[in-house]
Amino acid sequence: MHKLYVHPLPVRIWHWINALGFIALILSGVQIRYSDILAVLPFGLAVQLHNAIGFALIGNYFIWLLFYLFTDKIKVYHPDLNPARYYRDSLRQAAFYGYGIFKGRPNPHHVSVYRKFNALQSITYQIIMILLVPLQFYTGLLLWDVNGFAGSIELFGGVRMVSTVHVLLFIFFSAFIFIHPYLASLGHTPTAHFKAMITGYEEVEEEPVKDVAR
Amino acid sequence: MTTLKKILVVDDDPVVGKSFDRVLSGKGYAVITARDGQEALDKLAREDYDAVFTDIKMPGMSGIEVAARVKTTRPWLPVVIVTGYGSDANEAAARKAGVAAFLRKPLSPEMIEDSAHAVMPENRPGAAATAVASPMPAALAPGVPWRVGTFARNVGLFFAAPFIGLAYVIALPFIGLGMLAWRGYQALAKREQAK
Repeated sequence: MHKLYVHPLPVRIWHWINALGFIALILSGVQIRYSDILAVLPFGLAVQLHNAIGFALIGNYFIWLLFYLFTDKIKVYHPDLNPARYYRDSLRQAAFYGYGIFKGRPNPHHVSVYRKFNALQSITYQIIMILLVPLQFYTGLLLWDVNGFAGSIELFGGVRMVSTVHVLLFIFFSAFIFIHPYLASLGHTPTAHFKAMITGYEEVEEEPVKDVAR
Repeated sequence: MTTLKKILVVDDDPVVGKSFDRVLSGKGYAVITARDGQEALDKLAREDYDAVFTDIKMPGMSGIEVAARVKTTRPWLPVVIVTGYGSDANEAAARKAGVAAFLRKPLSPEMIEDSAHAVMPENRPGAAATAVASPMPAALAPGVPWRVGTFARNVGLFFAAPFIGLAYVIALPFIGLGMLAWRGYQALAKREQAK
């Protein structure tokens, strides 16, 4: 086993603030949406809390964004421009998650600094981090000041459309909060990936020195 | 017509040579590989190269020794150490041997391309061709000069990624059906042949 530094400090700081913030947003969002049947927090306080955390997470997102935009680690979020290779790697990874993992087969993906995600993770995180998270922030911002952003809301298709997109993404992220820790527990030990997201170092079987550009 | 710059990559792991080839081919470079120091010296004795990139830890001769031997016989030839064992002692030994740069793995494609570009004699302002103990070029210490074109490409790919990803996802069922149809056709064709 070798240790490979794949989670730089800014990414770890962003990750854990984001994780806690998203849980808080989901809980306060549930309180806002179902205030008629749930009364853990007063409605006004839940809205204030939801807004404050939302703005904090928008700021936090820029830690992540600026880090990747201005370092060569941006490659982690680059698409595979070879469709044949992409589909082959995805199918192998899906076969591993669906079958191989239960048979103790080795993970077909080998972590490296510039390829820390497998094919399925890669596409998922690209869509989530560069499309869905900003979209959720944007719709949240529009709903925060409906009158001030009336023009943008009109362009988006109206308040109902903005609200629907925000809630659909809320459902998606709520599901993600459960799926993500499960998938993170599928390392060589159940806590390996959690420790790595604290220390920055992933334990990998192959020699890190052989990690070169794709 | 421009002449290809010949780069000798010395590493016992063939993946490294393939990576250099993948990054540099089509960009004015020809990548030739050697699996150990002796093979590298044999190749250097037979033909001329424009730069040598060598790993340190290899069976037989170390990369530092390869660098020292190359610099003794061809002091004008830039040698770059590429290693995962980037200790201070190794770096000091490499500098003493007169290497042009000391790069630590993992290497990004930009690091490979930029270092290959930077060590070429015509791209090294003020670097005397006979500088046996030439210091490491500032642009290569520790690795990557920043370039606008590379930055623009990286950022472009970054923001294109989710849309390319969505295109892959949307195309997946059609590709799956196409593969099934193709397999079915092959099976039928095989059955017909068997008859």
